[in-house]
Amino acid sequence: MKTIAFFNNKGGVGKTSLVYHLAWMYADRGIRTLAIDLDPQANLSAMFLDEERLADLWDDSERSTIYDSLLPLMNRTGDIAPPHVEQIAEKLGLVCGNLALSRFEDLLSENWPKCLDGQQAAFRVITAFHRIIEAAAQAMTAELVLIDVGPNLGAINRSALIASEQVVLPLAPDLFSIQGLKNLGPTLQDWRKGWRKRLDELPSNAGISAPSGNMTPIGYVVMQHGIRDSRPVKAYSRWMEKIPGVYRQALLNEQEQPVSVTEDPYTLALLKHYRSLMPLAMEANKPMFFLKPVDGAIGAHVEAVRACYNDFHTLARKIAGYAGIAVS
Amino acid sequence: MITKEELTALMADLESDRIERTESVNNTDKFSQAVCAFANDLPNHKRPGYLVIGVDKLGKPCGINVTEQLLENLGALRSNGNIQPLPVIHVAKITLEGGDVAVVEVQPSDLPPLRYKGQVWVRVGPRKATASEQEERILTEKRISKARSYDASPVGEASLTDLSLTQFQAYRQEVIDPEVIAANHRSVEDQLASLRFFDNQHHVPTVAGMLLFGKNPRFYLPGAYIQFLRLPGNTLTDRPDDEAEISGDLLSVLRELDIRVAANIQKRPESTSILREKNTADYPDVAIREILLNAIMHRDYQSNTPVKLYWFSDHIEIHSPGGLYGEVTPATLEKRSSYRNPVLAEAMKALGYVNRYGYGIQRAKSAMEKNGNPPIQFEVDERIFLATLPVRNV
Repeated sequence: MKTIAFFNNKGGVGKTSLVYHLAWMYADRGIRTLAIDLDPQANLSAMFLDEERLADLWDDSERSTIYDSLLPLMNRTGDIAPPHVEQIAEKLGLVCGNLALSRFEDLLSENWPKCLDGQQAAFRVITAFHRIIEAAAQAMTAELVLIDVGPNLGAINRSALIASEQVVLPLAPDLFSIQGLKNLGPTLQDWRKGWRKRLDELPSNAGISAPSGNMTPIGYVVMQHGIRDSRPVKAYSRWMEKIPGVYRQALLNEQEQPVSVTEDPYTLALLKHYRSLMPLAMEANKPMFFLKPVDGAIGAHVEAVRACYNDFHTLARKIAGYAGIAVS
Repeated sequence: MITKEELTALMADLESDRIERTESVNNTDKFSQAVCAFANDLPNHKRPGYLVIGVDKLGKPCGINVTEQLLENLGALRSNGNIQPLPVIHVAKITLEGGDVAVVEVQPSDLPPLRYKGQVWVRVGPRKATASEQEERILTEKRISKARSYDASPVGEASLTDLSLTQFQAYRQEVIDPEVIAANHRSVEDQLASLRFFDNQHHVPTVAGMLLFGKNPRFYLPGAYIQFLRLPGNTLTDRPDDEAEISGDLLSVLRELDIRVAANIQKRPESTSILREKNTADYPDVAIREILLNAIMHRDYQSNTPVKLYWFSDHIEIHSPGGLYGEVTPATLEKRSSYRNPVLAEAMKALGYVNRYGYGIQRAKSAMEKNGNPPIQFEVDERIFLATLPVRNV
């Protein structure tokens, strides 16, 4: 099992939609994939499920979201409950998010320092996401886990990122994303260091599965969502030029002369805006590259759907390559 | 279905290309390719091929547990619609000396070339591979000499100019593997023929080609349209509020029907709990749609009668000319499916109107129940299939 988180300090660049489409793509190429929604906004879950099903999962009757797995920890009545994996397709599962997840933040903040004293209970809290992911992946025998996290640098994300072996950064070519990148890099490094220190304090006989906390950044995806419409081209290209340099500085501590975005090996993809396809996809409750004539994808859309499939297929292969998974 | 003795004899013949042995119980890709290849029957055995699951290369059973679930999964090789047009398969558990095996019997198809995920698979001796263009042409020609369904038969006086080729090219993107399209040397006639829309022997379009891409299908197939009536009361004698004859190529017809059904359903929001507000409708659109799609897919296109959609104040009637077909009886309406128009069934899947075969009526029934409508009534005789959908109880 490999875990990849999609993380960004600035919301609204299309990160969740990226995770949604990649998860479907991997499943379509025959890789058993688990998507896990650790963003308290729960947008990923809303994309995968219709409102009726979402209401079922959030209602008191079912109690089968990420929050419900954490509940015993929060109430201090025991350890995590086994997670429910919602089957989306034959090879695609989802651990559903929940708005109430925000309530976990305080408990995480409180227990982070306590790990330094080697307190087992604290480790149970901090490794909760990691262990939920492990259990869910095992339940559906997933080879690949994609984690969607919210756009902030809080305790929930710290714990979610520690559970990820690799990190992909979706960016938009604008001031906010560049600024976010500058904050995010050092924070990731602090978290990595902090976790290593705490791991040394974990009693070996505790029997708690703990993640390595590698969080290796594998690169960035530039989301070109309509940026060009709203701003002059010049501004857009100015930010584009900055990305490779800032990425190296903030995430890799490198000071070398950067290359252009198109030549940068850390550029995983420059994703276009599939303007006409996204609304159709939302309406049909399926990814853009699966749209059919019945969903309104007719005429020129047919070409666009196919091009969209190829773009995501290429990106999926690239990302999985870093995780050591071959995608056909 | 094959008997134990026949199977044992066939298994012993290690040279036979009518049998494929596999130890794996869940390699759907491999199974589908095998089914596709047997149904194409390139060597022209004219006898069924067998996929035997749970034996090693030498034909010795490796002691798998043949569960209901496994047999169901094998049956789904057909119903999931990844192999087109639909193959005829039978699935069974057979107990041999050394243990149980699951057997899929595949009949040679009347409508080759069959494709699995857009690629034509064939067997020649021990080799299983995707067909070359030459092999594909052989399969296309083989079809012409076979008895076949009406939707694959030629439309006498029509010609290639009666088809909209731009529509066809867009459709082709949906059903043919992109690599095959990229490496293509086929003429348009061959492209059409290989998908059963053109008869290369008479150089005319087939009925399915005309229905899907015809510029004016009604000219050649007088019954190929839908008569829509919206009536103020519950009898046909009133003056209709709205009427239309919906015709044209299949996709245009289906899209117009979607719009009409959506426009005629009355919805209003009702709150069911704090979290939820439900749109309740007088009919679930899924149910109307499934019954309509069934009518269009299974109707008899030789009949000059249209499909009729009558929308009364308290019920909807959908008439489909041609009655039941094949092995379906009124009692097995939900359990069995036979295809009078297999080429059309294939197209419905490609266009996304069908996701899984054989579940339409079940879906319609459960949608009606969930929405609070009385159950659908079916009246069937040799000439007509009539479904009546009562309005929701208020």
